[in-house]
Amino acid sequence: MYSEKVVDHYENPRNVGGFKKEEAGIGTGLVGAPACGDVMKLQIKVGADGRIEDARFKTFGCGSAIASSSLATEWVKGKTLEEAESIKNTEIAQYLSLPPVKIHCSVLAEDAIKAAIKDYREKSGSPAGTDGNAAGKAAE
Amino acid sequence: MAVVQQIGGNGANAGFVSCWACKGPVAGRALFCHTCGAVQPPGSVDHFARLGLERSFDIDHDHLEKQYLGFQRVLHPDRFAGKPAKERAIAESQAVALNEAYETLDDPLKRAQYLLRLAGIISEGTIDKTVADQALLMEAMEKREALSEAEGVDAIEQLMVEEGKGAIELLSVISKAFAADDLAAANRAVLRLTYARKLLEEARLKRAALEE
Repeated sequence: MYSEKVVDHYENPRNVGGFKKEEAGIGTGLVGAPACGDVMKLQIKVGADGRIEDARFKTFGCGSAIASSSLATEWVKGKTLEEAESIKNTEIAQYLSLPPVKIHCSVLAEDAIKAAIKDYREKSGSPAGTDGNAAGKAAE
Repeated sequence: MAVVQQIGGNGANAGFVSCWACKGPVAGRALFCHTCGAVQPPGSVDHFARLGLERSFDIDHDHLEKQYLGFQRVLHPDRFAGKPAKERAIAESQAVALNEAYETLDDPLKRAQYLLRLAGIISEGTIDKTVADQALLMEAMEKREALSEAEGVDAIEQLMVEEGKGAIELLSVISKAFAADDLAAANRAVLRLTYARKLLEEARLKRAALEE
């Protein structure tokens, strides 16, 4: 039932683990699926240039949830916060060929990215669009 | 006779529809046409009404069982052995609907979720939304980590005992919340119970793997 890409991410998950929440530049997103009791943590590490230089995740859930969050950590790396924020669950679902019943796993991953970015902004005191990079300033 | 089938007094469809066999009037919730006796299709009544129960979280389990077995006997395939294929098929769809109603109401978590669905608190639109309760998520993450780090059957069973106690307490919280018509509180406790059940399920799987 799982696609090759899901199996690949499930068996060789990328960026498993975590950063210390309190550390500077870290944003933590913690989300959960009400239907199945899955829980997903996604963390980003934002560099001085405002780009996400690293990411980690820890997910307790089905193969699709693990693959979605593993893929999300790969995709956010090297992106600005605005770019990472624009990642859509449909792109994750499409890339992993998730069946309709597993779409909510990709929704969870998208929400986790957004929650991590929100947490980073709240901690660093910079509202959306003022992340100190050119793209952010232009968007404002 | 049709009136007898209308026990419960809740749910929709109190009006009359046409019997598919004789076209005579038949109560929306009746199992059989009171004119020709033909079994009627399941129709759109809620699970409580289908089993002739009041819509409530607190249900008497023995009563639920009795209602279920009673309806099941009436709809048993043996009773329709000599009937035309269409009647047999309708009786079967009634039995399927009856089983679904029983399975939903028999489990307190499913029953609570079903009540929240009927009240519009849970819907297709909300089920995909992430859990807003950060304290619950943090707790769930910690417990799942503790379970994944637990070595040996004893450590796993310790976690199961604690979580099992929590699950029982949550049932009483849910019951009180529904009794007070506090659906938001019921929803929060239902979500906690969903996570508690998940942890217990994962713990059972891990224990089974260790015992192999």
